[in-house]
Amino acid sequence: MRQILSRREVRADRWRYPGEDGDGPRVQTLAELQAAAVPAGPVGVRLAPVDEVEQLAPYLESLELVIVHFDSVGDGRGYSQAQLLRDRLGYRGELRAAGAVRRDQLFLLARCGFDSFEFAAGEDPRAALAQLDAYSVAYQRSSGTLVSPNLRA
Amino acid sequence: MYQYDAFDRTFVNERVAEFRDQTRRFLAGELSEDDFRPLRLRNGLYIQKHAPMLRVAIPYGLLATRQLRMLAHIARRYDRGFGHFSTRQNIQFNWPKLAEVPDILAELATVDMHAIQTSGNCIRNVTTDHLAGVASDELEDPRPWCELIRQWSTLHPEFTYLPRKFKIAVSGASHDRAVTAVHDVGLRLVRGPTGDIGFEVQVGGGLGRMPIIGKRIREWLPQQELLAYLEAILRVYNRHGRRDNIHRARIKVLVKSLGIAAFARQVEAEFAANRAVAPRLEAARIAQLRASFRPPAYRPRPDIDASVGADAAFVAWYRHNTRAHKVSGYRVVFISLKKHGEAPGDMTAAQMDALADLADRHSFGEVRVTHDQNLVLADVPQAELRTLHAALAPLGLASPNIGTLTDMICCPGLDFCSLANAGSIGIAKQIHEQFDDLDYLYDLGEIQVKMSGCMNACGHHHVGHIGILGVDKHGEEWYQITLGGSATGQVSLGEVIGPSVPKPEVAATIGRILDVYVEQRESDSESFLQVVRRIGVAPFKERVYAPDTVAA
Repeated sequence: MRQILSRREVRADRWRYPGEDGDGPRVQTLAELQAAAVPAGPVGVRLAPVDEVEQLAPYLESLELVIVHFDSVGDGRGYSQAQLLRDRLGYRGELRAAGAVRRDQLFLLARCGFDSFEFAAGEDPRAALAQLDAYSVAYQRSSGTLVSPNLRA
Repeated sequence: MYQYDAFDRTFVNERVAEFRDQTRRFLAGELSEDDFRPLRLRNGLYIQKHAPMLRVAIPYGLLATRQLRMLAHIARRYDRGFGHFSTRQNIQFNWPKLAEVPDILAELATVDMHAIQTSGNCIRNVTTDHLAGVASDELEDPRPWCELIRQWSTLHPEFTYLPRKFKIAVSGASHDRAVTAVHDVGLRLVRGPTGDIGFEVQVGGGLGRMPIIGKRIREWLPQQELLAYLEAILRVYNRHGRRDNIHRARIKVLVKSLGIAAFARQVEAEFAANRAVAPRLEAARIAQLRASFRPPAYRPRPDIDASVGADAAFVAWYRHNTRAHKVSGYRVVFISLKKHGEAPGDMTAAQMDALADLADRHSFGEVRVTHDQNLVLADVPQAELRTLHAALAPLGLASPNIGTLTDMICCPGLDFCSLANAGSIGIAKQIHEQFDDLDYLYDLGEIQVKMSGCMNACGHHHVGHIGILGVDKHGEEWYQITLGGSATGQVSLGEVIGPSVPKPEVAATIGRILDVYVEQRESDSESFLQVVRRIGVAPFKERVYAPDTVAA
């Protein structure tokens, strides 16, 4: 069972990813979501780095999970996707970073509005937790609520 | 200058603690090389040919003497007794041990310094005019804005993993000494239609493999909108900049492929859409930053000409290494780091300590770093210049060659850098040896020679009046020459004169180029650059490649 750091707790994931069998609500790709009829039940979607988050605007009411996939640590498009989802679209549901997610990026990810994390192989979610408290101060405002460093006045 | 408060200190200390843990995990094998790389780069640490290289940030080139003394201490304790000032107003240490880097950063933090974001694909150290605050052609001091940008860009949550590095320069003067046109974003303080001072914004300039002059994206931006507008530019770039090819990933490629008009439309749309949450600067915040850069306590001083009745050595130094100051009775002093026999930009720990003492005595305890790898004491009383000169000369810091041919910009090249194709320090020595007659150099007037050991162009060769680019030809070091580039005022990119020349021929080739200049100039006041612009490169090319002159 997939382990997720959700806010500050490690728990088993209830969602099924594209291509996975079993119980639980199914995560769709953006293309699948756009091709489907009006969804019944909770909706989860997975964005690729190239996907435009604005495309999710029609589905905000029923969205419960948005997964932003990082192809590599260095591909920072997901940070902008997260900020836009929170700031511009006003999305308040679970926002998960997945793919090349390592503990050393955790603070920045949380600052951009991610509140759940599926780590890359080899990363211990419990050990990673400490990174959320790496900084007690930050120079910029941001849309994250999981961490709340003191901001420069 | 800006003083850290408790907030800044807390941040820098937390950064040091984070990197100490990351270094420990790397050395213990818990963090792979691939995972450690982006982390160490964002802390200024490269792995070079011989050892790690640590690039320490000198924000907008301004150093307090306690900071300069700390750099001397680090050079002595952790390196081989010297440091290298770079073309981005930073300092590089070439021999630190990886395991000791967290200690170095902790020592830097005690004097409010760091190495954050001096490398990696993020917003780099912001640079500015080395004459900020003392130049008479200045509309407004750019340094409060640089400090604002420094803070805003430090560990920006959204823009720390950009497609590529991102450099911002700010100029507040009518004559641009910050080379804003070759930065990813170049900001110039200008008066707008209402008479208020705002920013002219240029985007997409840069050197490297694809040299290009930045395009104007905003004629005038209100000052309080600066960060909001920068966020709009960075967001469009972060979302749409290319990430598939490292050589096509700078913002200049995005601007070029979209065209400046379409790029500007995207930025303006993002700027408008983000208005509700974008950072908007309060007047109090701007006032607070400006207060950090109040002029020093100048005193009424006699406006004497210190060179009257002085010896020839002083007169030469006064004429070439000092400049007018906007306050009567004071003078701006350039400390040349281009002494014959030394690598351009290098400085020993002993020199740093001694210069710190002199800056305390004669220039309000501050030193500046220029983008052409010299230092500046910005506020020296005219009446103290002779004492200062007498102290600088035995330190080897009074070479009277500022603005001359031997005041070269030079990257570390093949001797240190793992990217380089060819040496550059050796060529600097060759040029020094061939052109050691000061009277000849003074007769030639202002000539900017800029030299890079590879096409990444750390030595800014494209904007040298004479540019020298090291290339690798079947394992041998050859050099391509460009003419007519300019980094200041009317910025231009140099034109390649022809096939590259072999290493032993570089200084002789420059000699032939200078012969053409001397023959062609219409008066003593027509500069090298003016002649190149007037007659083009053809006459130079003809002389350089004349059959009887090519040795190889």
